[in-house]
Amino acid sequence: MSKREFELTELPDGHSITFNAMASPCEILIQSVDKQLANRIGRSLTQEIWRIEDKYNRYDKHSICSVINSKAGESVSIDQETYLLLNFAEQCYQLSDGLFDISSGVLRNAWCFDGSDNLPSKTNVSQILKFVGWRKITFDQQQITLANNMEIDFGGIGKEYAVDRAIILAKKITSSPVLVNLGGDLAVTNARLNNEAWHVAIERPNIDGVLEDNTKQDMIVSLKQGALATSGDARRFLLKDGKRYGHILNAKTGWPIDKAPRSMTVVAPQCIQAGILATLSLLQGGNAEQFLIEQDIKFWARR
Amino acid sequence: MKNKKEKLNIKAALTLATTALLGCNNLAQAQTPDKDTWDFDTAFLFYSEVDRVSAGEAIFNAKKTFENDEVLNLKLTVDALTGASANGAVAQPTVQTFTRPSGNGQYQVKAGDTPLDDTFHDTRVQFNGQWTQPIASNLTASGGLHISNEYDYLSLGLNGNLAVDFDRKNSTFSAGFSYFQDTFTPEGGIPKPFASMLIGDSNAPTWDDEFSKTRISSEDDKTTADILLGFTQVINRRMLIQFNYSYSTVDGYLNDPFKIVSIVNANGVTQDNIYESRPDSRVKQSIYAQSMYHFDSAVLDISYRYMWDDWEIESHTIDSRFRIPLGDSFGKGSYLQPHFRFYQQSAADFYRPFLVENNDLPAFVSADYRIGEMTAITLGLKYGLLINNGNELAFRLEYYHQTPTDAGFDEIGVLNDVDLYPTIDAVIAQVTYSF
Repeated sequence: MSKREFELTELPDGHSITFNAMASPCEILIQSVDKQLANRIGRSLTQEIWRIEDKYNRYDKHSICSVINSKAGESVSIDQETYLLLNFAEQCYQLSDGLFDISSGVLRNAWCFDGSDNLPSKTNVSQILKFVGWRKITFDQQQITLANNMEIDFGGIGKEYAVDRAIILAKKITSSPVLVNLGGDLAVTNARLNNEAWHVAIERPNIDGVLEDNTKQDMIVSLKQGALATSGDARRFLLKDGKRYGHILNAKTGWPIDKAPRSMTVVAPQCIQAGILATLSLLQGGNAEQFLIEQDIKFWARR
Repeated sequence: MKNKKEKLNIKAALTLATTALLGCNNLAQAQTPDKDTWDFDTAFLFYSEVDRVSAGEAIFNAKKTFENDEVLNLKLTVDALTGASANGAVAQPTVQTFTRPSGNGQYQVKAGDTPLDDTFHDTRVQFNGQWTQPIASNLTASGGLHISNEYDYLSLGLNGNLAVDFDRKNSTFSAGFSYFQDTFTPEGGIPKPFASMLIGDSNAPTWDDEFSKTRISSEDDKTTADILLGFTQVINRRMLIQFNYSYSTVDGYLNDPFKIVSIVNANGVTQDNIYESRPDSRVKQSIYAQSMYHFDSAVLDISYRYMWDDWEIESHTIDSRFRIPLGDSFGKGSYLQPHFRFYQQSAADFYRPFLVENNDLPAFVSADYRIGEMTAITLGLKYGLLINNGNELAFRLEYYHQTPTDAGFDEIGVLNDVDLYPTIDAVIAQVTYSF
């Protein structure tokens, strides 16, 4: 677990709060010179973000996520917040026709996207695929039951959810403009003073060819409201016989989605919405961009 | 590939799913320290009828949610009422004299004016306590007590309710009962139905004896038993509907001891005023339907109630509210909520605006405009905003207009020249603060 502390830095027109959460470097910006307020924002928001991390981190054996997974086959009681998250996951499952499935994490046992050519065997994948399938999970407002050997993973929505929760909290505390950035998934409460946009640096998309190159300059995105999230990781893939296998897996087949962009960055009113739209678009493979264009959504794809 | 239309639905559906996940109602839940603290609501209400009753009301509500979702709700209401209320007699082209309900003194009403008894002033203190707790995963039970006391009235009540959730809590069925015992001890005692209101010199030595002949006792009481069945269904993320049915029986003293009925001659001139007489039981039933619809940001709330009873009163109520969020430039979390209510009621079968002398007396009679035929509308506007870290402050201003109508009684003689069905206009102002 990362250190539970944040660092407050004075900026010319506000404050920056930096900390680590969800295995990412994180930053909160507040456009207010009130140091006390900045401290309060830092304390409240990080507390909320770390609360969500502790509650839904699959790697933390005390998290509700781990409890649910370790008791697969039994019913585990859940609270309202978990119920709402599961409900949201259910919606995403339905909207994606089963391509997005928070029970697909076990496929990780077959796939290791380390840039090598170590493809798993078809038998191996189909063995593990038996333990994937949202339909085999039953839940209601009080409890959830996974089929034996199944696992769920809030990794696909947890960080974005934490961003949105932090934004709601920030709005309750202050009307000063606040930006919450958890490892690149970010949202703002409102425009900066005088209706100026926030300028956010994201990794430059649309870079052809080799990754990890030295042209990795950041690109500046202007944001007056809403959120931005990135799905996909350009560095995680396998390469065999000239064919690239990206790490976005089809939950129905257990195999990588063909021709998916390496990553997708999407703008939406809420961060969790942006994150899901980005993921859903990747799951469309070669049609990822078309999928978003048709819905009139602003995005940057990296292929 | 799916077609474009389906894709657009994905975006809309996702917006809804996000709203459900991040909606404000679950905000408090994740901020763990919010449990085990008290929530307070305070409200001050001012009600004023033109030339008639004015009322001030203060409400203090405290609510605490405990660790296992038990909820304790305590509510204290204090009302102060002053002013004048129609005594039931008809207006006349001459000055009229009436005896105060206490028997101590008399008051006069100008020619052409609706007779109002201006001695109304009362303070009511009301306390409600309600305990709600889950008793099984889909079952919630609730029980409460009610005490209300004013100068001449005491009301004690208790209630219980069971609610069952099913279909993933999208549907709720509830059944409840309540029971009230009310005791009426008006100053001057309970008048004898059909007795003539004594008019004369209240300082005369025989007055008290004569007055007591129009009385039957010093107090009387009534009991009310209600059964309420309800069904609530979440249609989708935007819409919720509710249906209620209620059955209510009231037994005991149902008269208003301050109300009289005029007996007029063939020229419409008042000869006598007698105390009203209502049946000693009443069975009321009502059905109620409500629908709430969430637009992207606004919320529409519409309800309809149909009530009928064995006094042959039927009423229809349509109530609607539309909550429109304003931008933060009008205050943080501010909203505007127009309110419209329409009410229509038919008269009780024993309602008579007056009686004509030498005709047989009916078994029951009342000239109380509140059980006569009428329509009423309410128009209101509420403005609310968040101050001091999320405490809600709201202002409400409403206008109420009541139009009693003639349920088909012939106006005779001089009654044609006076207003038997005066309209009532009232203004309601309220300030609410939640913290």
